[in-house]
Parts: sequence; structure tokens; C-alpha cells
Amino acid sequence: MVIGTIAALIVKVAFCAALAAAFFYYRVYREETSRLLVFAKASYHLATLSLLSTAAVFLYLILTHQFQYTYVWSYSSRDLPLPLLISTFYAGQEGSFMLWWAYTSVIGMFLMRYASRKEYEPEVMSVYSLILAFLLLMLVVKNPFALIWETYPDDLIQAGPIPGGLTNFVVLDAARGVWARFPAEGRGLNPLLRNYWMVIHPQVLFSGFSAMAVPYALAVAGLLKRDYKSWIRVATPWSVFGAMVLGTGIILGGYWAYETLGWGGFWGWDPVENSSLIPWLLCVASIHTALTQRKSGAFVKTNFILSMLAFIAVLYSTFLTRSGVLGDTSVHSFVDPGMWIYWLLLSCIAVFAVIGFGLLFARMREMPKIPVEHSFVSREFALFLGAFALAFVALFVVIGTSSPIITSILKGQASAVEVSYYIKTNLPLGIAITFLSGLGQLLWWRHSRTGSLMRKLLLPLVLSIGATVAVFLFMGSEELLILLFTFCSAFSLFSNLQVGYGIFMGNPKFVGGSLAHVGVAILCLGFITSERYDDKATVALERGKPVEALGYKLTYVGHAQIDNERYAFNVEIRRGDVRRIVSPTMHFSSQTNSTLRHPDLINFINRDFYVSPVSIESSSEGEQKSYTLEQGGKAEIAQLTVRFLGFDFSPEARAAMLEGKDFVISANLEAVDGRKRTPLTLKMTNGTNGPQFIPEKFTAAGGEMFEFALARIMPGENGQTTAKVEFTVRLPLDEKTQKRDEILVVEASVKPMINLVWMGTVTLIVGFVLTIVRRAEEARLQSDRWTRE
Amino acid sequence: MKTKIIVGGIVVAIGIILGAVNFLESNVEYMDFTGAEQSQKRVQVKGEWVQEKGASFDADNVKFIFFMKDDANRVCKVVLDGAKPNNFELATSVVAKGKFVNGEFHATEVLTKCPSKYEGTSESVKKTL
Repeated sequence: MVIGTIAALIVKVAFCAALAAAFFYYRVYREETSRLLVFAKASYHLATLSLLSTAAVFLYLILTHQFQYTYVWSYSSRDLPLPLLISTFYAGQEGSFMLWWAYTSVIGMFLMRYASRKEYEPEVMSVYSLILAFLLLMLVVKNPFALIWETYPDDLIQAGPIPGGLTNFVVLDAARGVWARFPAEGRGLNPLLRNYWMVIHPQVLFSGFSAMAVPYALAVAGLLKRDYKSWIRVATPWSVFGAMVLGTGIILGGYWAYETLGWGGFWGWDPVENSSLIPWLLCVASIHTALTQRKSGAFVKTNFILSMLAFIAVLYSTFLTRSGVLGDTSVHSFVDPGMWIYWLLLSCIAVFAVIGFGLLFARMREMPKIPVEHSFVSREFALFLGAFALAFVALFVVIGTSSPIITSILKGQASAVEVSYYIKTNLPLGIAITFLSGLGQLLWWRHSRTGSLMRKLLLPLVLSIGATVAVFLFMGSEELLILLFTFCSAFSLFSNLQVGYGIFMGNPKFVGGSLAHVGVAILCLGFITSERYDDKATVALERGKPVEALGYKLTYVGHAQIDNERYAFNVEIRRGDVRRIVSPTMHFSSQTNSTLRHPDLINFINRDFYVSPVSIESSSEGEQKSYTLEQGGKAEIAQLTVRFLGFDFSPEARAAMLEGKDFVISANLEAVDGRKRTPLTLKMTNGTNGPQFIPEKFTAAGGEMFEFALARIMPGENGQTTAKVEFTVRLPLDEKTQKRDEILVVEASVKPMINLVWMGTVTLIVGFVLTIVRRAEEARLQSDRWTRE
Repeated sequence: MKTKIIVGGIVVAIGIILGAVNFLESNVEYMDFTGAEQSQKRVQVKGEWVQEKGASFDADNVKFIFFMKDDANRVCKVVLDGAKPNNFELATSVVAKGKFVNGEFHATEVLTKCPSKYEGTSESVKKTL
């Protein structure tokens, strides 16, 4: 218990140290001497060290199963394998905040060294430390080391003598005899999260979120330093790094949803997905406008705005998904973290927006005015339009995701937008973005001559028209906008390949940009083929009977139990000579009281065959219903009237019960079927195996079979209250479904060319890496130049 | 320069109109059954499953049929395209999205709202003691 208290204290130390670092760095910047720099550096190091050691303690508590801590109890258990046990670190709100801030603090260490070489240290680190301090405040407010008897005092704290043999207890106040029990086992990780994606995806995503703070800090630092130009070169490698890591995290999440969660696709426009997409879009937009500024000096303000917005979007997204404002409108369950976190997140957004935009406003007048000289046919203009379109996509996604907030203000009833909203608004923008990402690469800076442009356009245009016609002929027609999107994506692919090839022949190091565009283009083509040209069918598969669907022959061959709660449903898939078995699983989790479904798929080179389980209907048994009746009461069950007459609890049975021997209790019911009255005796025996309910069958005049069974006995106490009985009735089979075997309902789909999505992702990431290397080198050369001067 | 501003302004205006129209269109309105029947639009109706009337699955047409009582206490037959929604039996309330056809509510989507979010409760503490 002591160790947690100390760790909670160290969190406060980390907070104070981060605040001190922000203050000292700020003084260094104001005084323009490095008198306090040592203190500033030391404070930042202390903050990082404290935070990391707190995280280490937290991990230790999880690994050693210290269930007296609410967090450890809430998310972990003894049966988890080590990687998953470690991942429970960030399965809840506090832990995931801690992981995120830990990454933030470590990235800050690199940033410190990097910025000091670029003579940016005091400014950027004062902003960055302030961010860290604000974030840490959330851990100070929401203590991850809360003890379980503080969370549930009524259930766990007791007074008086401690029963012998009890091991899991702690004495709170020896003088007054107050003590508390604590659990011996944890509640365990949410079954939905129990797979290997949980180990990797959040890690990548949170490092991406952390990285987004750097361009913000550098932008504010640039404003502080009145450096409106070269900060861009300092910041670009970080923006590209952030975009790469966050982008990877987003796609990993998409693959998780596709492969194990069974959402049917890799992107569902869910708030949690959207909220990581928004900062990514803004960051990518800023990378493009930064490129223009480096070339022509234009877009000074735009670059500040976009770099700062990307970070503020991270904060806003966190607010949306963590504060509980979205409530029931998403499939993700959002736990309400309490008023404190709600207001802290809001004020965090406000503070950093005011600092950033306030400073920008104050410095606006003295910024150099760069006259825009480029023409319509220039790379600058294409880049500007592209970045503009990206920012618009971000805006539409923000509005869509915030819909529950907007509608609850406007209409008083929160509702989410449908997925069609995102597609309709973003499709035209996607067309523009892909087209520009192809065209921009073919254009010159400032102005392109029509003749030379035409010559370069020729090949990509011909090829992409060919590709679009091929898609139209072989995969079928679609609405015009989709075909246009196909054309533009193909155009982007071919022109970037053409340009990339030229660059690669000259200097392979510079090929990153083209390669990233090639990746995006392939990704978009994959989106179109797998989401638009997919085939879907909900099929009911009766066991052993082949069903033809989507050109495949599906046969449900039976189920196999994997463990207590989990079943695999084997479906044989045949097409021509190919014969494969897929085994989607269903799992009723008693822990979350819900059914979890996991799809299975066959990955062919040119398509996926995807089978998602929907439900299992065991039609061999009728539907079961339960009734509660008071003594003398009656219920209408189908054509029957059933009356509860009373319990039969003989003195012998009572004596047997008191002596701990086996006994029988029965409830006497009467079924009235038309004019015929039949007594029904529902028995419960109690023996060494616990209570057993013996079902009683009843056949009605029409031959329909009913099966009754006792469920619960509520005897009247001393005749003061009436006795009640709860029983279940299995109703007769419906004629239509009678004599049918078990039916498995699945949603099957064919997703053509989905491998393009994964291929595009890898290409995009490689492109990002090459760009980071190039831009970091460029930034190094620039600082070398400064040192020489 | 001037033409650029005009072109840009038009593009922005189109974008905003496009966004606003789509936003309003895709925010399916909440109504009760009576309102849904009158408007004939795609709406969402909140209510609860009438357990006594049961629920059935039509495997031939892949339709799930149940009866739902809306907030105004009107009971209506709901025909859902697809199978039984997740956690249907446990749901405290359900929201059906769809429209009225011939006295039945044809739903394309049924969302279930469950009381059990993955949160610790004092009962769950007692279970693990």
C-alpha cells in the first residue's frame, strides 16, 4: 500500500517539475542568458524520470497482481498471458493517459537535444513542458493508484473482529478495529481487447498523439522567437514523423477492426477512429503547405495555424472520446470519467488554443508579407488546393463526429450522423485530393508551360483512363463519382510512379514524397475495390445443407467448443476445386454479459472471402419464456391458462432440509386447455449437487408440446406475504421452423483487391521514412550553416 | 489575385452547403411510431421490446421480427433486415432505424442499449473477493 501512495506522490512531483521546467525555460528565453538553463534542463529531466518511475511502479503492481488497487483489479486478472497482462497497463482511462504522457516525456528528451542544436531549446521546451504539465494534471486529479476500499468503501470496509483464515485484508485503523477486505482476483481484461492487437495498436497510436505536440510547440516557439521562416525546416521532420506514426496506428486499428472485431470493413467512421484521423489530416495538410513556404515563402500564417490545429485536434478528439459526451451514440462504450476530467480536457483545449492563436494574432502584423506570385498552373497552387481539401475533410469529420453534441444543442436529442454523411461529403474532396496529388507532382514551381505539362501528362492520363475503363468493364459500373475517384486515384498512382522513377534515377534519397503519394493512391484504389465493389449477403446456413452465395458454396458443418464460453462455427467454402474451412467464432462473455463475434476470412491474392457470424438459431427447440405468479394467480401461455395453486413442502422435507439432507419441494400448477384441466407438478430436488429442477412436459389437445420447469421459489414468510413462483415454459415449435436443424446465420462478403489497402499502407510508411531522413538531413545542414555564421 | 479569391469563395460556399445539407439529411430524426407512420420518412424510433409477444427469426428471408413499444406506449411490429441484434435480450431499450411500410416498421438497423458498460460495480467487487 505504501508503494502506491509514494507513486501517487511522485506523479505530483512530475507535475511540479514539468511546471518548473516550463517556468525556467521561459525565464531563459526572456532573460536571453543561459543562467537558468541548468535548472530548466534538470527540472525537465526530473519530470521525465518521475513519470517513468511512476509508470514502472504501475507496471510492477500489475505484474504482481496487486488487486488492492482499483485499476489493477478493474482491468487485469491472474489468467492473462504476459503480453496481455502488460497491455492492461493502458486498458483503462488512467493507464492509457499515463502511457501517453510517458511517451510525451520521452519524445521531449529527444526534442530537447534536437532543439538545442537548432538554438530553439528554451522557447520550444518551455511550451512543451507546459503541455506536459497540463497533461500530468489529469493524473494528479484522477489518481491511477486509488485503493479499492476507497473506491468501494461500503462493500469492503468493515469494523469488528477479523474472521480467522482470511488472507486478503488490511487493517485500516487498529484502535477502532476498522479493516477492509480486498479481492483475490481481478475482474480481467475486457474480452474484446484480448488479442495481440491490443499489445501493439494503442502503443503506436499514443506515440503518434504524443508526436503531435512537437509541431505545436515548435510553432509557438517560432512565434516567440519571431522566426517565421526557418522554424518550418526545424518542424517538418517532426510533422512527418507524427504523421507516419499516427497513420500507422490508425491503419493498425483498422486492420484490428477488420480482422478480429468483425466490423466488416477496416473503416467504420466510428468516433474513436475519426478522432485519430482528424489530427492526422491536419498534420498532413501542414506538411504540404510547409513545402510551399520553404520554396516560395508563402503560407506563413497557414503553416502556423495548421501545425497548431493538429495538436488541438488531438486534445479535442480526446475530449470527444474520453469525456463521455458522445454517450450512447457509438459502439465503443465511453465511461464517464467524472466532471474533473471533463473540465480539465476542455480547459486544456482552451489554454493551448489561446496561447497559440493569441500569440499568432499578436505577431500577425509584423510578419513578412510574401506576395503570392504563382499562377493557376503551378505546384504551389496545387499544393494549396490539396492542403485546403485535406483541411476540409478534417472539418467535415469534426462536424460529423461532434454530431451528438451539435444535435443535442439544436434539437435536445443527441443523435449521430449516419455513415453516408462521411462518404457523401468526403468523396468529392477525395477526388480533388487524389487528382491534385498527381497533378502537383507534374507541375513546376511558380509556373508550368502548357506544352511541357501536356507531354508529361500524356502517359499517366492514358494509363489511368485505361485503368478506369478496365475497372468499369471487369468489375461493373458504379456511380459517376466513384468512377471519377477511380480515375483520379489511378492518375495519382501513374504520375507519381513516373515522377518517382525520374527522381529515383537522379537521387534515390528524394523519392519519399512520390512514394508516399503512390502509397495513398494504391490505398484509395483498395478502398474503392474492396468497399464499393464488394458483394455482401446474409445467409442462413442449416447444418449440412449447402447454400449458394456470392458464387461460393457454403456449408455449415458444425460447431466445436473452444473453451467454456467460446464456440467455433465451421463453414466449408467451395468454389471450383478450392475447398477451405473458415471458423468464425462466437463467444458469450459472462464478464461483460454480451456476445462477442469474431469473423474469419480466406485471403486470396485478388480478394478476401470474409465470413462474419451473426447468430445461431437452434430451431430444434422452441422458444423459452419465464413467468412469475403469485399463489392463486394465473397466466395466459399460448392457448393455455396456467394457474399457480401453491407449494408442496411437506414437514418431512422441512426436517430433511434443516438436517442438511436431500429434500424435494414441488409447486402445484394447473393447466387449463379449453375445458380440460390438468395438474402440473414442478419439482425441485436439493441434494449434494445443489438444487435441480425437473422439467414437466405437457401435451395440449392439438398435440403441441410444452415443457415447464421451476426457476425460483419465493415462499410466503409466515403467511404474511403470498408465496410466489417463477417458472419457465418452453413453447411448442413453430410449424414453419419445426424439424429444422441448427441454423447458423452469417454475413458473407467478397472484398476484391483488399490487399491493395495493405500494400498501399506499407508503401506510404516507407515514403514517410524516406522523407523524414531527407528532411532531418536538411534541418541538420541548416543548423550547420547557422553555426558557421 | 481577385479571380482566385472569387474562385476560392465559390468553392468554400459549395463545400459548406454540401456539408450542411448532408449533415441534416443523415441525422435521422427521432420520432414515435405515430409520427413515423405519418411522415413516411426514414426515422429512428426509441422504445422497448415487448417480451411477452416474443421474437422470431425468419431464416428463409433473413428477417428478424419482434414487437416494440415506443415511448407513447404504442406497440408495433418491427421487421429488421438481418438477424437478431447483439445483446437483444439484455437491452433496456432499443432504437430502430427505418420507415413505416403497410403498418409495419421496416428497420434496416436496430441498436441496443445495454446497462452494462465495462465498468466496475460493487457487485463485481463482491464476486472477486
